[in-house]
Amino acid sequence: MIEVQQLTKRYGDTAAVNDLSFTVQPGRVTGFLGPNGAGKSTTMRMILGLDTPTSGEVLVNGRPYRGITSPMREIGALLDPKAFHPKRTAYDHLRWIARAGGLPRTRVDEVLDIVGLADVANRKAGEFSLGMAQRLGIATALLGDPPILLLDEPVNGLDPEGIRWIRSLLQRLAREGRTVFLSSHLMSEMEETAEHIVVIGRGQLIADANIEDFTRNSTSSHVRVVSPRSSDLVPLLRQAGAAVVEAQEALTVTGVESGWIGRIAAEHGIELHELTPRRASLEAAFMELTGDSVEYRATAASTLETMEVR
Amino acid sequence: MMTAATLEHTTATAQGREVSFRDTLASEWIKLKTLRSTYITLGLGFSLSVAATGLFAMAVGNTYDGWSEAQQASFEPLMFAMVGNVIALIVATVFGVMTVSGEYANGMVRQSMIATPRRTRVLWSKVLLVFGITTVLGLATVTGMFLVGQAVLGAYGLPTTSLEDPDALRLVIGLGAATPLFPVIGLALGFILRSTAGAITAALALLWLPLVFNDMLPAWAQENILTLLPGQAVDSFTIAHAVDVPTNSPPLVGVVLVIGWLTLFLGSAQLLLRRRDV
Repeated sequence: MIEVQQLTKRYGDTAAVNDLSFTVQPGRVTGFLGPNGAGKSTTMRMILGLDTPTSGEVLVNGRPYRGITSPMREIGALLDPKAFHPKRTAYDHLRWIARAGGLPRTRVDEVLDIVGLADVANRKAGEFSLGMAQRLGIATALLGDPPILLLDEPVNGLDPEGIRWIRSLLQRLAREGRTVFLSSHLMSEMEETAEHIVVIGRGQLIADANIEDFTRNSTSSHVRVVSPRSSDLVPLLRQAGAAVVEAQEALTVTGVESGWIGRIAAEHGIELHELTPRRASLEAAFMELTGDSVEYRATAASTLETMEVR
Repeated sequence: MMTAATLEHTTATAQGREVSFRDTLASEWIKLKTLRSTYITLGLGFSLSVAATGLFAMAVGNTYDGWSEAQQASFEPLMFAMVGNVIALIVATVFGVMTVSGEYANGMVRQSMIATPRRTRVLWSKVLLVFGITTVLGLATVTGMFLVGQAVLGAYGLPTTSLEDPDALRLVIGLGAATPLFPVIGLALGFILRSTAGAITAALALLWLPLVFNDMLPAWAQENILTLLPGQAVDSFTIAHAVDVPTNSPPLVGVVLVIGWLTLFLGSAQLLLRRRDV
């Protein structure tokens, strides 16, 4: 379990992380989301005792990181897949880390097998592709067989097969009762992998919720209704406070559950050809919620056009 | 949801033995021995120094007959153990710096501090290893330089000395044993400055500049200011018996000065390592 309590980190006048509080629970995959510069990496570094908070604290299984005697056995981390010496073999890289963590050398072979790098263990790490380096980083995190995993963008650089592999690995680890905490930009993948998400923006907590709840409350969640008597249905829906957008083919209804729509239609004898609840994608819900906390945003294309004209 | 089996599993792994200093030391040793550049660097330090000494001795041998009487009278075969030593010192210092600065450059330092949250263990294991390795390198190199130098001089029929001469032996051991000072200072500078270029520049400046400025300065400056610097201080108790220069202090003073410099550098490194973000 990771407990973040009123965590603040200032660099000069700016707060990279501002009064952040959340708990990451075991037994499920928790995603850590936020725009670039939101403070995710800073938070993760503070969890691992690399950066010292300005105020507040973070506890790993009840203790601050720097007070843990065998940290690699309690929490495994992947921060930067390229943090190795390029001329050292993957095997030797894991070897020094295992030794530093007080772990037996046999663990090196074991984790190399788990991540599928056993065949290239004696190649220099500098020859690895980004995807292979990611796997090496994941192997590093797994060395101590820890009950907590902390991964910063682990999917970055993996091909679709690799993404699927890590998804099933993380979910399996969560099912074993471990705490799995990963940050990612890949919304669609996060949606598939995580059950719970912590969303931050500009260093502050925006949401700490189940993915279901998070997306359900987004305005993009709607129900698609197709009925030959939609003109009769629409006023009934609007009366109940739902917002209805009529298009040629279908109605887009927000504000009421699909089950309720079905019941109302049945009560009034209105035939329904389609009744499809569409949950907002995580990406849509996320953009909606964090839209104004993005620090650096690319110029919209239209602005570029006007610039050219001048 | 934690089943009994997984609970047992996680508690068991968490109960592994505590990470000890020996673990950190062993991991630092693995870092060094699994890189080819370690062997190349140390090997080059040795061979270039010995080769330089040999070449210098050949130059002396070839030109000796052209020397004036006064120059020939002042010829001292013992000095030939020292000629190439500056090469070994530079290589050893760079080696000391890079055991630290390399990790900051490629980001490995974070992994080191994640594995070893008691960060000063990393500092002190590196110090121990660099001290040991550069001492061995220093002794081997000076011995090699001495033997090669004397052999070449002998081949030219010039007066030589041997390790059976107690003065020669003292010089060789003293010079070799003084080797680790700048590598360890360089290591500390690596943690302080967190930059390869910065730390190498600073360490070599401290090693080199006093030698450069020595002759430009008046005697009182040599005797009172330069003499306080680490290189000059360590010479005071390792080779002062053979090399009489104004920058020598009494041996005990030299020891105290060296301890003071090491405390300053290593103490600062330890403080900054503990306090700063990685």
